[in-house]
Amino acid sequence: MNLDEALQTFITESRELLEEMENALLNVDIAGDQSEAINAIFRAAHTIKGSAGLFSLDHIVAFTHVVESLLDEVRDGRVVLNDEMIVLLLSCCDYLSGMTDALAAGRLDADPDTAPEGEMLLQQLRRHMAGGHAEEAQAADAPLAVHAEPGVERIDQERGDSDYWHISLRFGRGVLQNGMDPIAFLRYLAKLGKIVGIATVPDAMPPAEEMDAELCYLGFEIAFDSTADREAIAGVFEFVQDDCEIRIIPPHSKVSHYVDLIRALPEQAARLGEILVRCGSVTSHELEGALHQQSHPDNPQDEVVPQQLGSILVGAGSVPPVVVEAALAKQKQVSEQKAQESRSIRVDSDKLDRLIDLVGELIIAGARANMIGQHIQNTELQECTSTLSGLVEEVRDAALELRMVKIGATFNRFQRVVHDVARELGKDIGLIVDGEDSELDKTVVEKIGDPLMHLVRNAMDHGIEPGDVRVANGKPAKGMIKLNAFHESGSIVIEVSDDGGGLRKEKILAKAVERGLVDADRKLTDSEIYNLIFEAGFSTAEKITNLSGRGVGMDVVKRNITALRGSVDVSSKEGAGTTVTVRLPLTLAIIDGFLVQVGSSVFVIPLDMIEECIEYATEPGQDYCNLRGQVLPFVRLRELFRIDGAATRRESIVVLKLGNHRAGLAVDTLLGEFQTVIKPLSPMFSEVKCISGSTILGSGEVALILDVAALMQAVSGKGVVALAA
Amino acid sequence: MNTAAANVVTYGSSAIVALQSGAALPSQFLTFMLGEDQYAVGILHIKEIIEYGSLATVPMMPACVRGVINLRGAVVPVMDLSARFERAPSVIGKRSCIVIVEVENGDGDGKQVLGMLVDAVNAVVEIAAGDIEAAPSFGTRIRPDFIAGIGKVNGKFVILLDIEHVLSSEEIVEMARGTVATHHN
Repeated sequence: MNLDEALQTFITESRELLEEMENALLNVDIAGDQSEAINAIFRAAHTIKGSAGLFSLDHIVAFTHVVESLLDEVRDGRVVLNDEMIVLLLSCCDYLSGMTDALAAGRLDADPDTAPEGEMLLQQLRRHMAGGHAEEAQAADAPLAVHAEPGVERIDQERGDSDYWHISLRFGRGVLQNGMDPIAFLRYLAKLGKIVGIATVPDAMPPAEEMDAELCYLGFEIAFDSTADREAIAGVFEFVQDDCEIRIIPPHSKVSHYVDLIRALPEQAARLGEILVRCGSVTSHELEGALHQQSHPDNPQDEVVPQQLGSILVGAGSVPPVVVEAALAKQKQVSEQKAQESRSIRVDSDKLDRLIDLVGELIIAGARANMIGQHIQNTELQECTSTLSGLVEEVRDAALELRMVKIGATFNRFQRVVHDVARELGKDIGLIVDGEDSELDKTVVEKIGDPLMHLVRNAMDHGIEPGDVRVANGKPAKGMIKLNAFHESGSIVIEVSDDGGGLRKEKILAKAVERGLVDADRKLTDSEIYNLIFEAGFSTAEKITNLSGRGVGMDVVKRNITALRGSVDVSSKEGAGTTVTVRLPLTLAIIDGFLVQVGSSVFVIPLDMIEECIEYATEPGQDYCNLRGQVLPFVRLRELFRIDGAATRRESIVVLKLGNHRAGLAVDTLLGEFQTVIKPLSPMFSEVKCISGSTILGSGEVALILDVAALMQAVSGKGVVALAA
Repeated sequence: MNTAAANVVTYGSSAIVALQSGAALPSQFLTFMLGEDQYAVGILHIKEIIEYGSLATVPMMPACVRGVINLRGAVVPVMDLSARFERAPSVIGKRSCIVIVEVENGDGDGKQVLGMLVDAVNAVVEIAAGDIEAAPSFGTRIRPDFIAGIGKVNGKFVILLDIEHVLSSEEIVEMARGTVATHHN
């Protein structure tokens, strides 16, 4: 395998693991039961360390090692996780992310600039560990001696009697036929150090009559005392490494290394306890004692035995129960993880984008074929193209689905943000996350992070009152931020709400008048007033904080969201809190559209926005019609867009629905549904709010896509945009 | 000049040949007509010349933005140069065509492809640096900042356009803002 590629994988994985670790850390103080979170944190640290070792990234290994050691103690219950430690571990996460980023930037060794920070973190980590030792001196006597690891120098240190390399060998069947002698390797190995113990694993040996004397059936478990490094030891088996299974565990490795080994070995189902012994987790003395108690003689074929041996070892106190439990849990978890891994594959997102582009071209080409089929009135061809367009539609949906990701990961990032910002502000604030499983397009997810960050910070800073004010108002001292996501008619709705003081209408209005954003004598509805906070240069916070209050936040949020063809709205109840609702399209690439014609221009209306189409009718002299007893105001697209020419005799009204609003759009002709591949329009057209993009029709002509939200805002004449203009 | 490609297009054939030959030098310019006046644009900006075809108008835009066209799958805006120079919009005739050019985006983030609607394409001419004079500060009928210089071709003056300015997106956005505002009031 290409090492660079592998390194990329390592970087990606590490980032994911660090994210997991961070989430788990932040969840510790929420959930009462810590064990699951701690295990998750430990696993993350452990995996990073293990993988970093593969790439000889010693600085990462050294750092993670200490983190892991502390976590291990926490896991074993020798050290209790407290708030201070969580903060420390979060800093460690950041530090590791920093190292990973440096790695991604091509830096393979430690960065001297950040080294002092790392050293400081390490000292703090050790301080927590040292406390653990004092409290549980007894644990130090445990045969595992896990926490006794002095940490960084895994190679040159003085080792205790039981700290050996562990080498697990399974020679390939053909090794003898290839002219290799397993014994020769062991002899050569002995030159690098001392083989302390060796156990032959004859489990693969078939019954005598089936045995082929020319094949090698043997495996070896070796405890090896050496000052050589992993590379040198692995080098011994260089000639046979292709067809042999060789696993090397360095001294002082965690129990989980051994568990990994157990899981990976071909005999994994059998003799768990015995392999624990072989791994050096328990000494042979303890093994003898344990075996003594075992009523049946050791029978490798009997699956019950390992369990028995394990439990006997635990019973005899030779192995702490947690080791066996960890071994079992690890086994289970690893197998589950493996099952998941095999169901998903990593794909470069560029490849997906290319696929979506191609599907887009396919749709346009398909539409053209369809049009020609209709034009030449060939029934067979029409049948063919209609089957084809059905399939293309499915391909489109499947391709778009590939890019869909759950919003949960984005939401979870805010656990950390809320945690940190709350600390910074000196407020007690929790985060509730809902609807993490809602899916949306990856490109949207990538772009929504920053606006959401603004909104969350803003809610924490301005929304949530200080603790004493809250208590005085009869609210719990702990403020709550809630992130919620759900799907609604082809869009995803994300709500950021807080249970803070709410927006103060008078104050906003006064400020808006002061800043000249709105005329003083203008009557505004509540929601119009609230939405003034999205105007550029608006901020009512008296105190400008580090986080917000400079009035640059909310209008940027609005602009970013509008750029994604989304909309943002705010509702608030004074004293009870504020909710900001962000509405975004599910995808930015392809939509189901509905074609309408006015004069010679063709427009696309997103199908999700259309409720129905009705025949043109109007109350005399008015621009509204009677829709089953309800007043439906409508706008003539021809007038709005100043398209020349007179209306046709049979106009139609398209009934549009946006949230709770409904409006009609009078057009000349209805042309029907059309799969619309969105082509971005030149930035030149950014001022044309009512047009969100363009598409290419089957005929090769360009049609413009209407932005229904902006259109409604423009015609209602009350929206903030119209106010500004 | 080589006339091998003359059957491909019936107008400005020499211009096309020069374009295809790939021998363009910085001092080569494409000349074209707007009404009675001749203008020129540096050939390195030019990607291709296409016939005037179907075009979709974009509402609420100033008159100098004629609309958008489908250029092999990409949607490209087309400017009416005549309207941009504050004259009457071009009337589409037999020799009308769209010159596709590539200009730097105003904010420096990449290039933008645009079309210029012109009344006719003439030829590719070579103008030596010595034959180019700076634009006079007054006396031209178009805005001085649209002019990169004035070249001499066969004893006649040709206005060399500074298309980065002529096709400036920002200015058009500004103009559009005005158009949109009047729309609402």
